[in-house]
Amino acid sequence: MSRMIRIGLLRLTDAAPVLAGQALGLFEEQGVPVRLSIEPSWANLADKLAVGLLEGAVMLPALAIATALGRRGPAAPLLVPAGISLGGNALTLAPDLAEEIGAGPADPMALGARLRRVLALRRRPPPAIAVVHRCSTHHLLLRYWLAASGIDPDAAIRLTVIPPAEMGAALASRRIEGFCAGAPWGGMAEAAGAGRTVLATGAIWRNHPEKCLALRADWAAEAPQTVHRLLRALLRAGRICDDPAEAPALARLLARADALDLPEAAIRASLPLAGADPDPLRSTFAAHAASFPWRSQALWFLAEMGRAGLLADTPAARAATRALYRPDLHAAAAAAEGLPVPRADTKPEGAQRTNWLLPADPNPIPMRPDAFCDGRVFEFA
Amino acid sequence: MKVLLADQNPERSRALEARLAAVPGLALCRPDPAEPLAEAVARLGPEVVIVDIARPDRDGLEHIRRAYAEEPRPIVMFVDADDPGFMAQAIAAGVCSYNVVGAALPDVRPIVHAAVAIFQRFRGMEEELRRAERALAERAAIAAAKACLMRTRGIGEADAYRWLRRRAMDRGRRIGEVAAELLADLGLGEEAGGRKR
Repeated sequence: MSRMIRIGLLRLTDAAPVLAGQALGLFEEQGVPVRLSIEPSWANLADKLAVGLLEGAVMLPALAIATALGRRGPAAPLLVPAGISLGGNALTLAPDLAEEIGAGPADPMALGARLRRVLALRRRPPPAIAVVHRCSTHHLLLRYWLAASGIDPDAAIRLTVIPPAEMGAALASRRIEGFCAGAPWGGMAEAAGAGRTVLATGAIWRNHPEKCLALRADWAAEAPQTVHRLLRALLRAGRICDDPAEAPALARLLARADALDLPEAAIRASLPLAGADPDPLRSTFAAHAASFPWRSQALWFLAEMGRAGLLADTPAARAATRALYRPDLHAAAAAAEGLPVPRADTKPEGAQRTNWLLPADPNPIPMRPDAFCDGRVFEFA
Repeated sequence: MKVLLADQNPERSRALEARLAAVPGLALCRPDPAEPLAEAVARLGPEVVIVDIARPDRDGLEHIRRAYAEEPRPIVMFVDADDPGFMAQAIAAGVCSYNVVGAALPDVRPIVHAAVAIFQRFRGMEEELRRAERALAERAAIAAAKACLMRTRGIGEADAYRWLRRRAMDRGRRIGEVAAELLADLGLGEEAGGRKR
């Protein structure tokens, strides 16, 4: 019997592909049995991956990059052979702050302008807004939106770090006035009356990459066939998780005490829904090349971490970040599954405002917009 | 931290109580007279149980075994006579700190803290073992159910998986559970059970 692959995750809806892969025997079928390890925080997960207590993890791309570059503890060689999900994060504010801003289903720039006025006129100290980790999509997109709205993210708000599962309690106790976290934590805080969701990070960068699969490079180098089969199983799992018809059963499976141990309705509300326009508060797992590890997106995370002062975006860091992402491994698994493979490993990020077709073999992949809220296109070298 | 002090040695127990009362952040409680240990643990919900017995007492061990089985807690035992055979039995019953002490009491605070740490480590290992056992049983059930489907329906491995997965999704259950239920329904539960061993 082959040794079990230990994969870490946090209690979030977008861990669905690995949870479903394990519960439905997809890993087993590929001969790569997986043991899941639910971790309390991103820091725990990154530490366990770095010291070799896990072979892989459902990771934040920015945290995978920072860990691999040695920007949090000693450098831990990793590789990112696949994306796990798009979107699914929300900014949830205390009801009175949401009221003050006059939040509604709005354009992010209009919301940002209102927030800017409220903060400018505020007599109390800047509000504490929590993110799940400094090296998170949440933090970087929140900063991006604040900066695009003319708000200095380092002065106008106080950014703190709280693990996703503790956000609701922190908001209810008013230790913070808002948080940005993955589903279902925003929805649960809203259901408990502790907060109101005012913005999806998917409105800041439409259909943005959210979680990725990070593997320990030393382990992956020793077991290339295992990695290949693991990716094939994950591709199958992603397609099941993307199927709106499977959402009720999937929510039931994910809600269980031996999985996420969270309310079924809250999970259900963050799984893909049938319909033309994807809701940015829900995750996408397989469609629109969600599982493809775009090097251009890795470079965006690096650039934004540089802009936030978390690390230096140097030519050496860019080279290491490109090498960390492994679209070649994804392509081999996708081809073996009979799925289309994109022809390029980078794309202009933010260039698409409407649905478009991505050149891929054997046939093109239907894509959704990838525009940023300020209309900029990310330039990378 | 709530500590339940159950004594059969009133004299030393009073000394223990005085020592423990001096530890900040520690709340002491005691069983009611003649209350069995397991019931006192269930009623009071202590985080640590201290059992102070006069001499190696096998009846006392029965109470400890029951209390540990029903509500596992770190159990610290103070005895006044050394008896290696008894010690082994006490530890098997759930005691995680066995201390032979005479009239002069040692500092009990580090003993209590060490007992909590040992207990947590042990529980972690137990949980790990249970998870590993569950995973093995699940894999055995899937393999047996798959083989059974392939045989009885004349289908290939991929189709057998697909059949089990469909049923798991339709029922919102794990594939391992669905496989075990199928084997039980077909009266083949023993087949997977046999492999488990």
